[in-house]
Amino acid sequence: MTMPALSARGIFKQFGATRALDNLDFDVQAGELHALVGENGAGKSTLVRILGGVHRPDRGELAIDGEPRRFNGPRDAIAAGIVTIPQELHLVPMLSIAENLTLEDVPLRHMLGVPLIDRARMREEAREQLAQLDFAPDLDLRIDRLSFAERQLVAIAKALRRRCRVLILDEPTAALETREIERLFAVLARMKSQGKAIIYVSHRLDEVVALGDRCTVLRDGRSVATSGRGAFKVTDLVEAMTGRSMVQADARATVPGAVALEETADRPDAIRLRANEIVGLAGLLGSGASAVLRRLFGIGGETIELRRNGAARRIARPPDAVRNGIGFVPGERRLGLVMNLSVRDNILLPSLDMFARGGTIDRAKVDRLVKQMMELLDIRPRQPDQRVSALSGGNQQKVILAKWLMREVGVLLLDEPTQGIDIAAKQQIHTLILDFARRGGGVLIRSSELAELTLICDGILALRQGRITDRLARSDGFDDERLQAAIGG
Amino acid sequence: MPLSLPRFNPVGQIPLLTLLALCLVTALLTDRFLSPLNLSNILVQSSIMAVIAIGMTFVIIGGGFDLSVGSTVALAGCVAAMAMVKFGIAVGVAAGIAAGLGIGLANGVIIAKLGVNPFITTLGTMVLVRGVVYLITGGAPVGDDNLPAGFIAFGSARFLGIHYLVWVPAVILLVLSWVMRATPYGRRIYATGGNREAAYLSGVPVDRIIASTYAWSGALAGIAGVMLAARLQSGQPTAGEFYELTAIAAVILGGASLQGGEGTLYKSIIGVFIMIVLGNSLNLLNVDSYWQRVAIGAVIIAAAAADRLRSRR
Repeated sequence: MTMPALSARGIFKQFGATRALDNLDFDVQAGELHALVGENGAGKSTLVRILGGVHRPDRGELAIDGEPRRFNGPRDAIAAGIVTIPQELHLVPMLSIAENLTLEDVPLRHMLGVPLIDRARMREEAREQLAQLDFAPDLDLRIDRLSFAERQLVAIAKALRRRCRVLILDEPTAALETREIERLFAVLARMKSQGKAIIYVSHRLDEVVALGDRCTVLRDGRSVATSGRGAFKVTDLVEAMTGRSMVQADARATVPGAVALEETADRPDAIRLRANEIVGLAGLLGSGASAVLRRLFGIGGETIELRRNGAARRIARPPDAVRNGIGFVPGERRLGLVMNLSVRDNILLPSLDMFARGGTIDRAKVDRLVKQMMELLDIRPRQPDQRVSALSGGNQQKVILAKWLMREVGVLLLDEPTQGIDIAAKQQIHTLILDFARRGGGVLIRSSELAELTLICDGILALRQGRITDRLARSDGFDDERLQAAIGG
Repeated sequence: MPLSLPRFNPVGQIPLLTLLALCLVTALLTDRFLSPLNLSNILVQSSIMAVIAIGMTFVIIGGGFDLSVGSTVALAGCVAAMAMVKFGIAVGVAAGIAAGLGIGLANGVIIAKLGVNPFITTLGTMVLVRGVVYLITGGAPVGDDNLPAGFIAFGSARFLGIHYLVWVPAVILLVLSWVMRATPYGRRIYATGGNREAAYLSGVPVDRIIASTYAWSGALAGIAGVMLAARLQSGQPTAGEFYELTAIAAVILGGASLQGGEGTLYKSIIGVFIMIVLGNSLNLLNVDSYWQRVAIGAVIIAAAAADRLRSRR
């Protein structure tokens, strides 16, 4: 039996009163992709940080090829060939691709004994590394001109150049489109065949099932299941992660009501939304799906005209949209929350004017409503004074929804409302969206996960290059192939 | 209805503890510190800076800062004195405050609507306004001997045993603290400074909020300028130099963050007391005035470093 490329035995890690990791064993073999899943707070990030040398375990041992090792910082881990690719890639935006790739070890030439950067060799080395990934960009392009997927490839190439043996990927597909994901998977397969060990952390369980040679499920800092390829299905993983079996969001059976919102201009992506209705926007990045939501909320850089419950309205800026009962949940959580303010202040932000009595905020009423809202959305912990930055991703996302429920908006525009949050929180958010629609609200939701749209929507609009290319209705049954074809995926 | 008390946070009390420690040490080193004359002196000296610091706190919570307040103090003092000599106290006071408000509004519009960097904008108005002051006064003090007696009395008389000059910031503090805490407007300033984009996407008119913080800063610097003119019994074109730096340092010492979104008015006042008591203490201990500058500079850097350490946690 071969020694694992990297192993961790009996790891304990405590942060204050929380035990993040509790006697955890984990290993990865050369040429293997080992997936790591678990809800938020299960200990995935802590394990990744320990393997990457950022944290030191309180107890337990790390070993490389069976040899015990201690890391005193990320440098030690990188020197030992363990490279972590975090979600926010560590690249320098102002430098070129070639410069970024060779940043730690710049090729030099000497002129009269003075070391100078050897630009030709720098480019050559960068080109070689990227060719291994089947990626041939203009090497002089600045990093900030690249798409996220391209930057990710540069980060991986940089890891390869450091002769990495273990590559740790943290949620690598969270910001990728279908086609980019496929390219990433091809790259990973090639790296495996070269004998690299890969640790793959993801919330997307279908990917884990498709890619993982092995999968480990973490819960409360412990490993609750490890199984080999073919031995796990999505439902098993969910059960192991949450400790309960999966509840599906109930199927939609409501009849759409009167038109809640209708754009009056004649345009190829004009929107019409009824009360009680959930409409999905499907489209790749750049398809214009996100732009539709931004436009309707007054941040598209144009003034639009629409009918809201039959009345003609103009929307130029967010306050116009909010005044007309339209709420927006942006795709990035940092755009939805003021992190250094309390949960209460965040929930109240859009509706402050509604609770002003004689110029002052009606504190008693507000406290009561905030409490109800936290109860309804199951926001934990139930402390309105807690800073919102201290909450988990799922709970933060619920706070963003609570903002608009507090305002009692009639239309919700949701941009990737469940991105990067765990299964349990995701289901809770689906239930909330369905409830909102059942009580007369209209919902427009964009998601890169088509399964999410087919799960909760009444209708789906496929977008491509700023036009609606197809309209699918739940009553006809959602046809995956037809949808894929319409978005050009 | 359960009363929700904020949990006791020792870090939040550091400014107050620093001030108490400073007072204690000075009182032990010299018995002149606790004399009624000295204490009333500290209060009067703090009063003008306190008014400026309150305005500065608005701007800093809103995520910016304002270098122009020192020049605005001089402009307001000179405008008030010039108008007063001709049209009487009321017009003079109103003109001084209006001049400050005008500068503040100009800063606010340039920063919020045109998106010019606050440092550059207020650095520009700082120099520009100082130039205007010298232009309108010809570089000489205004209003000597001709200022109304009532105005001069305001600069030195007391009400209930306390100088009128000290009552001004006390009342302003009370009213504006309430505005910050209890009104939608106040909460919106915090949200805008904490995350401008998130506030915008929540329907907050962030441009107007930011512009308004500079308007407060300008208007309050205007009030401070009028107070200083009353105390100096003239409008001094050289008045208020380096006040902007003392005010910013005081606000940061009081626990506000230069990243925006954090701070409270009353703690900024504590920061003002720390600055003034420190100067007073060095004076009483006969420390060379050159060394005093060195010490105050070091305190400003220490306060900024503490701000970074806090936000890193």
